[in-house]
Amino acid sequence: MITISSLTKRYKDVLAVDDVSLEVPDGSVCGLLGRNGAGKTTTFKCLLGFARPDAGAVRFDGAPLAPKTFERLGYVPERAQLYPWMTVAQHVEVVRRSQPRFDEARTRELLATFRLPAKRVAKKLSKGQQTALALTVALATNPSLLVLDEPASGLDPVLQRAVLDILIDAASSGATVLMSSHQIGQIDRAADRVAIMRDGKIVLAGEIDDLRAAAKIVEGTFEGGVPELSGLSGVVRIECSGTMLRAYANGGHEPIVARFDALGARGVRVLDRSLEDLFLDAVSDEGALR
Amino acid sequence: MPAFFTVDPHGGSPIYRQLTEQIKRAIAIGALLPEERLPTVKALAHELKLNPNTVARVYRDLEREGFIATAAGRGSFVRRNGVVGEARRAAATVAGTQIDAAVREARSLGLTHGEVRELADGSIARWFPEDAQERPS
Repeated sequence: MITISSLTKRYKDVLAVDDVSLEVPDGSVCGLLGRNGAGKTTTFKCLLGFARPDAGAVRFDGAPLAPKTFERLGYVPERAQLYPWMTVAQHVEVVRRSQPRFDEARTRELLATFRLPAKRVAKKLSKGQQTALALTVALATNPSLLVLDEPASGLDPVLQRAVLDILIDAASSGATVLMSSHQIGQIDRAADRVAIMRDGKIVLAGEIDDLRAAAKIVEGTFEGGVPELSGLSGVVRIECSGTMLRAYANGGHEPIVARFDALGARGVRVLDRSLEDLFLDAVSDEGALR
Repeated sequence: MPAFFTVDPHGGSPIYRQLTEQIKRAIAIGALLPEERLPTVKALAHELKLNPNTVARVYRDLEREGFIATAAGRGSFVRRNGVVGEARRAAATVAGTQIDAAVREARSLGLTHGEVRELADGSIARWFPEDAQERPS
């Protein structure tokens, strides 16, 4: 379990992370989403002790970050931290010698999946290969806690699928995963919960299926003119186009449908929203849904 | 895998609901037979590239609705439930949802009760021609 409580990090005048609280239970994959500069990477840095938070706390399985946490923690930073002059095989050798939980068979499997050339030095690897090597190093010990900042960046679609497999298998084995990604389709599959950041704050968080089940659009046409819908709970935004009205619902769209029906609306439909829709709403400048 | 399932993260409804409907449908059409063992949560999560908690939630829902049963150490099975059988109940659930949506849409588009019934009768006559011959109205 990863627990972040009231984490705050300020760089001079900028509140990079603003009172962020988040809990990722055992066996759960949490996708941390947000536009560039929203505070995801700073959150990861505070999580791993690379930046000192101004306030708040981070706990792994209930305990603060300590040297022994790293025995079961796998971390892939936004930019793969590799030794440019060392080969792929040498990177693996470092893990073998330094990590008591090094898993030989697992590592061989990962190297084969990513087709990493053993004798090539890191600086000669492509961006995707560097990501793949960072992942291999992070996963070589079968960590039960995984913190991954953009683990699919630079990977081709086939290898992105392979990363998806790795994350799903890790979650099946009970690992706790916190990952950021701009690939919303990947988050939608691999993660069971999301937290969406904007300007250092978490603006939307929860289980993906619950968020999607709650967020609906109720649409209908009112021939006699669009009525006033005030006082209807659960409506977060209303859009009109001519005689057509759309009510964005959050939680319990049935009463809204009933009201539409009672007001004589025609063509009443309930539309589902994708995770991408929810994300775009949450980070949009209008901010109407927040 | 005893049946094909596909989920589309970008497609309309939440993933767990897509998968729940598809498993019910597989039971309805006999792609999953009574007492047939379902893949483990881990295997299905791997196969469909889905979070295992999502798959586990689908199994829990199907179990709560009585379509499947889970025995410790033996995995999940399609339940065999008396004369009616889970297949017919699953079929009724899947078809019922669609008929309900279609009738609601028709009413919402301004059709009258009589007009909707006429449409329904037309569809029934088209898809059950043998019954129409037996019982001409």
